Amino acid sequence: MNEEQEINADEVKNDSQASEEETSISDSTQLEVSEFADKKTLGFGFWLATFWLVLISFLAVFSPILPFKDADKNYIAYEQKENPLTGKVQERPVQPPYAPSGEHWLGTDQDARDILSRTIEGARISLAVGALTALFGMVVGGTLGMIAGYFKGTLDKIIGAIFLVVLSFPGLILAILIVALLDRSLLTISVTLGILGVSPIGRLARAQTLSFSEREFVMAAETLGAKKSRILIKELLPNVLIPMSTLAMLVIAVAIVSEGTLAFLGLSVQNSATWGKLILTGSGLSTLESSPWVAFVPMGFLFLTVASFNYLSDRIRDYFDVRDIFVTRD
Amino acid sequence: MLHETSEADNILELSDYRVGFRTERGLAKAVDGVSLSLQRGSTLAIVGESGSGKTVLNRGIMGLLGANIIEGGSAKFQGEELANTSRQKFWGTKMAMIFQDPMTSLNPVMKVGKQVSEPLRLHQGMSKKEARDRTVELFTLVGIPEPMKRFSEYPHQLSGGMRQRVMISIALAIEPDILIADEPTTSLDVTVQKYILDLLVDVQSKSNMSMIIITHDLGVARGRSDEIMVMYGGRIMEKAPSESVFVEMKHPYTEALLSSIPRLSDPKHTRLTPIEGFPPDIVDGPQGCKFAARCKYAQDICLTSTPEETIIDTHTYFCHFPVGTDAGAEAFKSNKDRGFTAAGLRIKSKREVV
Amino acid sequence: MPKPIRRLIGLLGLLTIVSMVTFGAMNFLGDPLFNILGPVAADVDNPESLKVIEEAKAQYHLDKSLPERWARWAWDFVRGDFGVQFSSSGQPPVSDLIKERLPRTLELMAVAQIIAVSIAIPWSVLAASRANRRTDKISTITAFAFVSIPSFAMAVILFYFFSVQWDLLPDTYTATDPFWGISHDHRLIQLILPGFTLGLGSAAAYQRLLRTDLITTLQQDFILMAKSKGVSKRRVLYSHALRPSLFSMITLLAINIGFMIGGSLVVEQFFRIPGIGSAVVEATLREDFPVVLAIVMIVSAGFMVFNYIADYLYTLIDPRVRHEDTSKPRKITSMGM
Repeated sequence: MNEEQEINADEVKNDSQASEEETSISDSTQLEVSEFADKKTLGFGFWLATFWLVLISFLAVFSPILPFKDADKNYIAYEQKENPLTGKVQERPVQPPYAPSGEHWLGTDQDARDILSRTIEGARISLAVGALTALFGMVVGGTLGMIAGYFKGTLDKIIGAIFLVVLSFPGLILAILIVALLDRSLLTISVTLGILGVSPIGRLARAQTLSFSEREFVMAAETLGAKKSRILIKELLPNVLIPMSTLAMLVIAVAIVSEGTLAFLGLSVQNSATWGKLILTGSGLSTLESSPWVAFVPMGFLFLTVASFNYLSDRIRDYFDVRDIFVTRD
Repeated sequence: MLHETSEADNILELSDYRVGFRTERGLAKAVDGVSLSLQRGSTLAIVGESGSGKTVLNRGIMGLLGANIIEGGSAKFQGEELANTSRQKFWGTKMAMIFQDPMTSLNPVMKVGKQVSEPLRLHQGMSKKEARDRTVELFTLVGIPEPMKRFSEYPHQLSGGMRQRVMISIALAIEPDILIADEPTTSLDVTVQKYILDLLVDVQSKSNMSMIIITHDLGVARGRSDEIMVMYGGRIMEKAPSESVFVEMKHPYTEALLSSIPRLSDPKHTRLTPIEGFPPDIVDGPQGCKFAARCKYAQDICLTSTPEETIIDTHTYFCHFPVGTDAGAEAFKSNKDRGFTAAGLRIKSKREVV
Repeated sequence: MPKPIRRLIGLLGLLTIVSMVTFGAMNFLGDPLFNILGPVAADVDNPESLKVIEEAKAQYHLDKSLPERWARWAWDFVRGDFGVQFSSSGQPPVSDLIKERLPRTLELMAVAQIIAVSIAIPWSVLAASRANRRTDKISTITAFAFVSIPSFAMAVILFYFFSVQWDLLPDTYTATDPFWGISHDHRLIQLILPGFTLGLGSAAAYQRLLRTDLITTLQQDFILMAKSKGVSKRRVLYSHALRPSLFSMITLLAINIGFMIGGSLVVEQFFRIPGIGSAVVEATLREDFPVVLAIVMIVSAGFMVFNYIADYLYTLIDPRVRHEDTSKPRKITSMGM
């Protein structure tokens, strides 16, 4: 026995005894788990989704200077046809809608307007609604949430109560109420939807701020006498921003969908083509029968965009290990 | 514990049994060539640290490792080859297993009575009533007070010891030919451990069941098994009848394990010596003896060549410099004089420790 | 006071605030008198019109202060009198309108949730039992796609294929039938398309949650234990793994039902189902405040109640809750319109 006591450790601290209980469940489970853990990459889908969002944003922003057809022009096609009465060959207009062709890649609607151009045109408004909504939600919700999480106390209680009240409203009903009572401008709709995004974003920002404000680096800054505003912006904001932006991506997706929902209720942005309105125009019985592409093309664009935002949010959350699950409903 | 046996009585016969996992780094050899035979009605204790492959070996025998594994060599259960076949037909009929932590191995949202009677109803065609009566009987057998009341309770309502008794009654319910108990008492209070172990040995000796107890504690194996097998890095280090392991251990790893557990006979404040270092990498493991890196006897040859099997009567071991032999003593002395082993492990003299 | 009771009182307080805000906003942003009388309301110079205006003001208590009017409304509301509609010459009373329309929405939701759950459970079990293999990967992508399809788009897609192209299912809902007292069979058939429209998205959302939880459960020791008892694979999945994995999904289900009371607006509108969703849309466009207010209250209350249920349902269905050993369910942050 004494001999063994002479043997002693170098630097390596032995914890194989201590960890025995937790790790001896099964050598196999550890191996299986490590297989999952290795997949901490953003993946191909992430870049695919990013590519689509960059592409659609580029098209939306630069559509006025890109060589697309005029979204509002009626491209009536003509054909040479024999007039059955006179027997003369005449040039006669062809009844739209026109199916996808070399001329109109994605077809035209019943007014012979180019679907591709109109969908790109719709992207401008739909993406603007999404971006403005997320911006409003992040600025207002983020600020309120961080203030509540950092200063705590009464301020936290008041802001928490505001979040709770806003969350208690049936969102879509609140939106149609405000939009119906005020006006149907891009700004009103975005701000209205943005208000609905304030509470979830704010609550997340609050929770993140709360947990980070007790970390060493914040404590250190406080002890060094940094100003509170400086701590909020320099120390806390960068840490709150990533989880907040994953939620903001979902808010964009929800806002784009909500715009469509409002359109189906007859309340979308006035005087502009939006994806929601385009889909609505194409979803009548006769239009669906004769020219399903009128509805399905903007629907495809909307789906790809919403799915991309959802997917990006999902992947980034995974990547940074944000544990919350967000559930979106329209 | 029965002893009079012949070859035909071997219920389990492993020869060069291997289990590997496919990983991104390559094949992880969790069990690397194990041969053993288990006689009907006898008990084998497998001892080793976590990562020694003892759990994988047993789950391998049970066939509970999933689809991601490769089995090699041969494992015969009652003469039937198990490796790379489904053991479904043995589950719940001839093989049973007791898991380490009864909290996680009992279904948290199913009443314990149902968990015990389930295999009875599935495999023995009992009616609900019959299964219930039998379960209550089993509960009484394993010493669960108020068995009728316990029948309709959930696992969380029972204490750790009671849960493990439930686990044992599940295993016994089907009257298996072989019972594998994987660290059956590790998660329990020290005071309860002895009762559960004695209960296991008691029910085992009453039936003609064979048993494998897996443990990291040589003390648990002592007196409760016919044979002890010490495993390290997926391989057998030493295998011997139970008592001779304690009296004439041959492998330095066994020696190290023994000195890492407290004993009642030790004087007060005896220092326990933990084994330095970590189990070897099983994907890209060391050449030679797996234990060489942590062995105070290690010489150059240990790092390059795997020791051959040495068999003396019923005692088997794999070591170049066995404990208690002249070669071993010499090897240790030369390492001590040098201050470190061939693998670079430092050996401090007594002076430095104090 | 026990926590559940305190929360319940908190909910009543919240509902009061919701009603105040809605009541205030509608009176502040809108013009109730105009909504009742139409152009006459602005014709104050004409003595005859003035008389009508005065009468209407007295009848609807518009001459009283805003807080007093709210108090009157609240008092009537708790007694089950939701007031009269501004439009349709006040008939039927709002409470009768709700009585006729709410059951239709509830029926639609029930159909949708039954569809969602009966798709989600086998789907999740299938995916989880083949975790990370091809079937699972395909189903994960499918679930993801379904979650990303808005309900109006789903409505158009289903309508296009099942009604327009293949002509399998009715696309119209016989709105003129009274809800009560007639056979529900043909209405259930009419609810298949709208039900799937709402149900498929929910099914996908549930699948995503349940699959993850099932995979976690399947790695537990008690699953190995069940296997070693000789329980068949199918039985392991359905009677051992499923139940302890259901809790997050049930929580989401409750939250989702709360959402759907307000969320079926588009579907009701698209398939022309006269439920409270389409009622609130019509009423909002007409600025018929008593109707809007009543529905806002019902939907908010329903939403809150189901969230409340979601929080405590856990304690009812999980036998472990009385002990501390239960791991906290993952936090579900619900967000939506």
